[in-house]
Amino acid sequence: MAKTPAVVRAERRLYDGAPPVIPHQPLGAACIACHDGDGLAVPDLGYAPPMPHAATAGMSALSHCQQCHVFQRTGERFRDNSFAGLRQDLRRGRRLYGGAPPVMPHPVFMRENCTACHAGPAAREEIRTSHPERRNCRQCHLEERLSGGFQRP
Amino acid sequence: MNRRTFLKVLGSGVPVAAFSCRDRREAERLAAGESVNPSELAWGKAPCRYCGTGCGVEVGVKDGRVMAVRGDEKSPVNRGLLCVKGYHLPAMLYGADRLLHPQRRLPDGSLERISWDQALALVADKFAHTLATGGPGEVAVYGSGQWTVFDGYAAVKWVKGGMRSNNIDPNARLCMASAVMGFMTQFGSDEPMGCYDDFEAGDDFVLWGNNMAEMHPVLFSRILERKRQKPDVRIVDVATRRTPSSQYADLYVEIRPNTDLALANAVLHLLVANGAVDRAFVRDNVVFMRGVEDLEEIGYGCYGEQAERYVFKDRGRPSSFAELEAFLADYAPARAAEICGVPEEQIRALASLYGDRGRGTVSLWCMGVNQHVRGTWMNNLITDLHLLTGKIGRPGANPFSLTGQPSACGTVREVGTLANRLPADMLVTRPEHRAKAEEIWGLEPGTIPAQPGYHAVDMFRALARGDVKTMWIQTTNPWVSLPNLHRFERRPGDGRFIVVSDIYPTPTTDVADLILPSAAWVEREGVFGNSERRSQQWEKLVEPPGEAREDAWQIIEVARRMGMGHLFPWPEDDWHEPMWEEYRRFTLGTGKDLASYAELRAARGLRWPVVDGKETPYRYAAGFDPYVKKAKGVHFYKAKAYGERAAFWLRPYQPAAEVPDEEYPFWLTTGRVLEHWHTGSMTRRVGQLHRAVPAAYAELNRADAAALGIGDGDRVRLRSRRGSLELEARVDGRGQPPRGTVFVPFFDESVRINELTLDAMDNISKEPDYKKCAVRVERA
Ligand code: SF4
Repeated sequence: MAKTPAVVRAERRLYDGAPPVIPHQPLGAACIACHDGDGLAVPDLGYAPPMPHAATAGMSALSHCQQCHVFQRTGERFRDNSFAGLRQDLRRGRRLYGGAPPVMPHPVFMRENCTACHAGPAAREEIRTSHPERRNCRQCHLEERLSGGFQRP
Repeated sequence: MNRRTFLKVLGSGVPVAAFSCRDRREAERLAAGESVNPSELAWGKAPCRYCGTGCGVEVGVKDGRVMAVRGDEKSPVNRGLLCVKGYHLPAMLYGADRLLHPQRRLPDGSLERISWDQALALVADKFAHTLATGGPGEVAVYGSGQWTVFDGYAAVKWVKGGMRSNNIDPNARLCMASAVMGFMTQFGSDEPMGCYDDFEAGDDFVLWGNNMAEMHPVLFSRILERKRQKPDVRIVDVATRRTPSSQYADLYVEIRPNTDLALANAVLHLLVANGAVDRAFVRDNVVFMRGVEDLEEIGYGCYGEQAERYVFKDRGRPSSFAELEAFLADYAPARAAEICGVPEEQIRALASLYGDRGRGTVSLWCMGVNQHVRGTWMNNLITDLHLLTGKIGRPGANPFSLTGQPSACGTVREVGTLANRLPADMLVTRPEHRAKAEEIWGLEPGTIPAQPGYHAVDMFRALARGDVKTMWIQTTNPWVSLPNLHRFERRPGDGRFIVVSDIYPTPTTDVADLILPSAAWVEREGVFGNSERRSQQWEKLVEPPGEAREDAWQIIEVARRMGMGHLFPWPEDDWHEPMWEEYRRFTLGTGKDLASYAELRAARGLRWPVVDGKETPYRYAAGFDPYVKKAKGVHFYKAKAYGERAAFWLRPYQPAAEVPDEEYPFWLTTGRVLEHWHTGSMTRRVGQLHRAVPAAYAELNRADAAALGIGDGDRVRLRSRRGSLELEARVDGRGQPPRGTVFVPFFDESVRINELTLDAMDNISKEPDYKKCAVRVERA
């Protein structure tokens, strides 16, 4: 059975929110040679999505990517481990009413570049935007930072 | 690399990594639609368990288990970012082989599970027996910069105030003791004046033997961000091998091992020659000092009689600017260039950078300078550069020492879990300091002994000799991390009793007579203090597994069983806050004032001195430090011995303890890698981290490898005068040593590179030099 993109995504990280490991071996190039702009289709290897956090304060093309993303050089474990992490929440973002734009169901920090995951060849079907040409996503989609409603102080 | 070569690389069919079964099962569960909204987790704050950066994390808990962490956006240290170790923290708690129960070693070498009651009684009995038969000189506690403040405080109070021994020393002796002695000898008070705000205020950042991109990645990312915003920011990397940090450097200065002393002196020489001395600053704030320089007297702590006990004590005498000028005549750039093996222009470039009054300079260092046979001297020289140019005590211009362990500062340096110290910079050798401790602890005058105990390496030498008989080791793994390990190998039936508290089996628990299971990180309440004087408190968020208990509790319970319960007069279920408030009394009014526990609970850490609830970013600096009454400038008010001025020490260049020769032609230098923390006992149990760097390797220069017929991935044998081992060669890896140097990381317990290292030490701090010894490299 072919793996779904959600499974592939989960395989590459310890839990939802952990940085993915690098799913290919070192290629000798700087990471941003491919993982920048709109990403790059790399023959024989696949599509390299752009990084979603080029706009995060403290992260830039200058950054040391391997501070967080590491190559995997073996498939083995040193010892077994029973950690079971947070899984990706696949529920949809809430809408005020049927035609309203959904709020974002996840925090935006480190994922300011929405199109990195929601558009382009790497975007999973279930989260792909129908309107990639409208680049200012946060004009309509808000980040939900609190549960509960407004209360007067 | 251009596109064509890039495509060629791809064509070579690089395999894609494999993933373990467990990961796959995880992924399938996810695909089946089992998902949790992060808001269903309870999130609590904590500092990261690993390095001295002290990043803030939010820890997500559900059903009593940690399920995720995220970088704490409210933490001023990291503002939401972490490094790969920090992101993978949760799995560190759940390795399948966690120690769950106390276990005693039987005569046949096997382990037997016993109850806590039996275990605690056994420890109390062994310590009491040794005290009664051999006296306080035969017991010892070996602690850790990973101890929480509570663990360290309980230990120091029990050892010094209860057992009346000074034989307590930490693994931090192996990592930042030279920085302690640097700050103590120059400012009369430990820890830096600057802070992380310097990363956004500085113009030039000089890394002295410090691979910051791997060792303090989140702080390095703050420097890179500064450089992005202000492109004229410069990074200088002074190093003995190329590392990922070198890739970002505007100037890479590759020196021969130990010649940083000559390099710094040459820069001082040029600053004086070029008229770059800030004369008014020096006149008002600096005194000149000079210590013992006789190599024969000083030695290296590893030859002759010093190889059993190393007790050299420096003797300072007043010096002067005139004497400095004469002293520096030996360090003309041409001569220094020859010693260091660098082009003269690089020395001049460094001098013009330090000498440029218009720019803020931040010097950063960690193990390269501290693990050094003249580490205190090198600490002194770096600070000297700042004192001579007046670049100190203001935003963006400071010497700043980084720490490797999460609470090397908070626990070891501030609580004083060292053979010669008491809390808040106090010394056991000073009667008024002992009296103050005895008063706060409610002890009879004269309880605390005046004679310092064994420093770490001597403590283990004494254990090997049999002069120490009963030892308790907590939160550290000396049978991987001590230098010259073969010296300390245990023989069965040696009559010693060694207790080890840890969370996983290690080579150290392998030699223990009694193993106690400890609670880790957020399985207990704690406080860590990071490199910038920030005390960070956290609450217990999950239960520890099995019967694991926190280290401080273990000590308190043993003390009770030895009739020393009066030292810990607090309720059994609520002792953290009262213990903190008692400890805090040592600090109030001293310039090292800690925040109250209530303040710490509410804050994302606070930097001491904390006065009236307000933290201090810059010590000794007018407008920042509440102890400075002047309107502007600096006041080194803790340096009582020098008339409240900072001491500039004249310190010469001396060679390493062992240098390559015909038989052992390579330098061996050791250290860490980004993915693993220290001896790897935690990080190797995290799949992603282990798979990234599964084993130690020997990093070789490409030309050396070719000359020896060694390729990347080949097996090689390294031999030193002390041992020999086999491992994989790495050529053109992430680090590139120069010709004649080989680098090996020390995290791998099956390749204990410290079997080869030398137990040479800094003359003042007694910190071993893990960066320099001589080895032979052969094809295996
Ligand atoms: S290991 Fe150090 S840099 Fe990495 S997250 Fe932890 S504290 Fe931060």
